[in-house]
Amino acid sequence: MKKIEGFKMRQLGSEYIVLPESSKLVNFNKMISFNSSAAYLWEAVGDKEFSVEDLAKLLLDKYDVDPQTAGKDAGKIAESWINAGIVEK
Amino acid sequence: MSVTKRYIVAGHAFSMTLPEDRELWDALRQYEPFEADGGEELFKLEIVSELPEITVEVEYDAPTEDGETVIRLLKAASGEWLIEMKPDHRMQICGRMLCSPDFRKAELLVANNSLRSKLFCINNSAMVLYAFTSFYKDTLEMHSSVVVKGGKAFLFLGKSGAGKSTHSRMWLEHLQDCELMNDDNPIIRVGEDGTVTAYGSPWSGKTPCYKNISAPVGAFVQIRQCPENRIKRMSVLEAYATLYSSCSGYKTDSGMADGLHRTMEKVVTGVPFFLLDCRADREAAEICSEAVCR
Repeated sequence: MKKIEGFKMRQLGSEYIVLPESSKLVNFNKMISFNSSAAYLWEAVGDKEFSVEDLAKLLLDKYDVDPQTAGKDAGKIAESWINAGIVEK
Repeated sequence: MSVTKRYIVAGHAFSMTLPEDRELWDALRQYEPFEADGGEELFKLEIVSELPEITVEVEYDAPTEDGETVIRLLKAASGEWLIEMKPDHRMQICGRMLCSPDFRKAELLVANNSLRSKLFCINNSAMVLYAFTSFYKDTLEMHSSVVVKGGKAFLFLGKSGAGKSTHSRMWLEHLQDCELMNDDNPIIRVGEDGTVTAYGSPWSGKTPCYKNISAPVGAFVQIRQCPENRIKRMSVLEAYATLYSSCSGYKTDSGMADGLHRTMEKVVTGVPFFLLDCRADREAAEICSEAVCR
């Protein structure tokens, strides 16, 4: 999967938000909020293609979790990104 | 012959150069309280009788509903902008404005000679240019109705038809010591010390309320119509989303979006935001003022 072009993450106090910042996204009228681990993953994948496994590996690199939990969390985050319309398969 | 007048709105200067036409200037009385000299001009707007031919591409075409003003942005290879405007998507374009790449110099051509078209185009052009040139100066052009009570400004936010003006009227009718500052387009500025201040402007929607006054902001209140009156404080995220949809600006331009974000972040962390579900009655004004004037 890959980020849909034109979304930008910004920090708001201790929280993170993603907003559309491209003229191609004028019909996208939502604001997405991220927790710190989603924000870390969003930053880490950059503009590259990535898989759920890539996200799980990134979580394992940074947090003290077991591979099974990381895999489950990575799957949930990827699914929420796709449902929000900010990532495409 | 043409006449140039200079104005200062919320501390930012700009000028307008228009034909020496008594009827037109009389109809633009709303700008008179703001006439002043001084400071570097944000932008210069001039009415012209022709525009050079340029090739442009559509850059921004916002979806609009019936009865909403349409502002369309087109970009030329030279970096100049062409802004087309009309009162409603079912109507013909009534004005075209050619702007320098930084929007600080603009030439406006009005399609027909009616006074109404000229006023529509001049006011919308000035508002667009103001928003597009002040974003990096900790300034927001808001869509809001503002009441001053006890020396503080309370800004009512919401979509068109949500009842912002109606709620202002409830305060003016039922509460003590209230004054309408502006009914549609006030300006917000954040000072170096973080104070958030509201200013009147020459733009106020259908209500003629063009006051050159300012007051520190007490609170922002999003208004929603509801059979019951109730009020609650918003989280910072909710406040940001509300403010984002209530201020003007070309949010898909990354430079402008950066500027707006910096200002909005200071506003939502510096001033309380509330959500008011309300009827159009005295009790709504009372429960709202009790919560926000504390």
